[in-house]
Amino acid sequence: MGRAIELPGENPTFKAHPKMTFRRGAYAYLVETVGDKTTYTVTDGTNTLSLPIRWSFGVGGQTWILEYQGNLYDSLVSYYPAIDGLDITMGDERITPHTLEEAMGRELKQGETKACFGCHATNAVIDRKLTLESMQLGVTCEHCHVGANAHLLDALQGEFASVPPKLRKLSTEDISNFCGQCHRTWEAVLRGHFEGEINVRFQPYRLANSKCFDGADPRISCLACHDPHQDVVRQDSSYDPKCLNCHAASTQPASAAARAGAPPCPVAKANCVSCHMPKVNLPGGHLAFTDHQIRVVKPGEPYPN
Amino acid sequence: MKFRGLILGCMLGGFLVPLLPGCALAQATPSAFDHVVEAATAARERDDVPQAIGLYSRAVQLRPRWPDGWWFLGSLQYETEAYPAGRDALTHFLELVPDAAPAWALRGLCEFETGEYSQSLTDIQRGLSLGAGKQAHDETILRYHEALLLTRSGDFEQALQEYAPFTRSKVSNPELLVGIGLAGLRTPLLPRDLKEDKRDLYLAAGSAAFLFMSGDEAAARQEFQNLFQRFPTASDAHYLYGLLLFPTDPDQAIAEFRRELEIAPSNAAAQLMVAWDALMRNDFSTALAYSEKVMAEEPTLPSARLVLGRGLVETGDVKGGIDLLEKELRLEPDNFEIHLALARAYSKSGRKEDARRERLLCLQMEKSATNHEVRR
Repeated sequence: MGRAIELPGENPTFKAHPKMTFRRGAYAYLVETVGDKTTYTVTDGTNTLSLPIRWSFGVGGQTWILEYQGNLYDSLVSYYPAIDGLDITMGDERITPHTLEEAMGRELKQGETKACFGCHATNAVIDRKLTLESMQLGVTCEHCHVGANAHLLDALQGEFASVPPKLRKLSTEDISNFCGQCHRTWEAVLRGHFEGEINVRFQPYRLANSKCFDGADPRISCLACHDPHQDVVRQDSSYDPKCLNCHAASTQPASAAARAGAPPCPVAKANCVSCHMPKVNLPGGHLAFTDHQIRVVKPGEPYPN
Repeated sequence: MKFRGLILGCMLGGFLVPLLPGCALAQATPSAFDHVVEAATAARERDDVPQAIGLYSRAVQLRPRWPDGWWFLGSLQYETEAYPAGRDALTHFLELVPDAAPAWALRGLCEFETGEYSQSLTDIQRGLSLGAGKQAHDETILRYHEALLLTRSGDFEQALQEYAPFTRSKVSNPELLVGIGLAGLRTPLLPRDLKEDKRDLYLAAGSAAFLFMSGDEAAARQEFQNLFQRFPTASDAHYLYGLLLFPTDPDQAIAEFRRELEIAPSNAAAQLMVAWDALMRNDFSTALAYSEKVMAEEPTLPSARLVLGRGLVETGDVKGGIDLLEKELRLEPDNFEIHLALARAYSKSGRKEDARRERLLCLQMEKSATNHEVRR
């Protein structure tokens, strides 16, 4: 999460791909890196608009933030690792640009800018104001453990009383709500009318829709499977013990929940998530997300909303 | 605003109930009744309304269970502004044809004119729910009256929602703007009951809100600034601007609510919005503090108990919060927000099955609301 936002000079994608091109309709795009600077250029063949990329958002797929005439823009074109190249930014497919500016990107509204930087960086929003001057890139300690910086300073003075709140003590429901501040809560997804595969990105929402979700059971919390201080583990088998905590086979010592009826899997005892948490392709995103709505997936069934 | 479109629509659209064979024949000789009906129809068709009213009155005396007669009588009486008589005729009609959407709507409009506002709102809403607003012109008239009546009954936010479609056409008139101003400034009056020296304030507020709701936010900002300058102590003006801003710019909206509270510290509606915003931002202690103020100031405010219930759940009194929310649900079983709040509250308290039931219900409600929006 530390790399949720990067400067162009620190972006390995730009180093690996110093020149990327793309064409959509009348507009041609060039993303070119020279040294620490990356330039985003769009042309209609007659006129050309060239802007430095200010920040890259995202670790795998990347969208870029541009500044034009004092306003911030989301680039209309993004980089996708699955195609190892450029395509239209997810969600912007329906935009048909009529001008070079529109082809360059989509102007971010004030609230949207705050939401983007608020989640991808630390201290970017203070007292409801976008404060890019105080921003720390990426998700640092202070982002989740509010007061951590002050605590460190206090500790240097030998004062240890100002301990940030202990997130480990939160209930499963509250952890979902906490992580959901950026990953979207169940309620936020419902209010935002995110229907269909697009909501697979919002893990707290999907998890809460699982039949086995229990807001008071720590074995199903975000933190039961993920250590937010580490990069996400992508090996399916590493999650097996978490599943078996509840769905223990009868030969194993049964947990309370297993005794209460969480059945063991009749098909396999390993790589549970490969069947019960399938990967779902995001429409228009060249990205696949793990569906956190844990379930028995039946062949051909539609995506459960 | 007359309802002639709907009346004509019903007549031309073949709405009228056909004469039932053998209906009440014992009450009069068929020839006498037929003669009166023929004369009434002729009078109506040549626009001789007084004579038509007299003849239809005679016809329904001869045959009280003749629905068409009551309908013509009621609608013609509405046309001539004989509202009490129109209401009574339509009441007879509805006893015979209880699902007649236009009759509910027209009776509601009669009651609006006779000052029976509560019944009027009920009837208009029933008419709309049965399909009285299928024609755009009819819907305009009914929604406008509904918005006026919602304002008068104190359901200001719902009234503003009813006004929203009017702003899409970007065509306004002073009467409409004053209506929007009354809803926006949370004043439970009809435009006709407003004192003349207050009209400017409501017109200005309505104009600013109209601009905002029609999508011209820059012009609206200017209009609101003018409103604040002209009426610096007007209650609810900043609240109104905040309310409109809240869905797209909650930060600016909160600034407006706080300005409102500087002018009117006990404004419960503004306090409620601050509490709601705090809930949405996980600032639960602020949410609880403001929701308790709301309960002290105006406990009957819609959503006051919902917000307090959520505040209690989030600050540790889960049981107290659930009790409050469940009581609210008994009063409003279809309230989406209460189900949403209960889903989280049950989940926090480990009531897994209850939480799941509420979540599934919310998903269903959301889906059906979305489908309804798409259809509209």
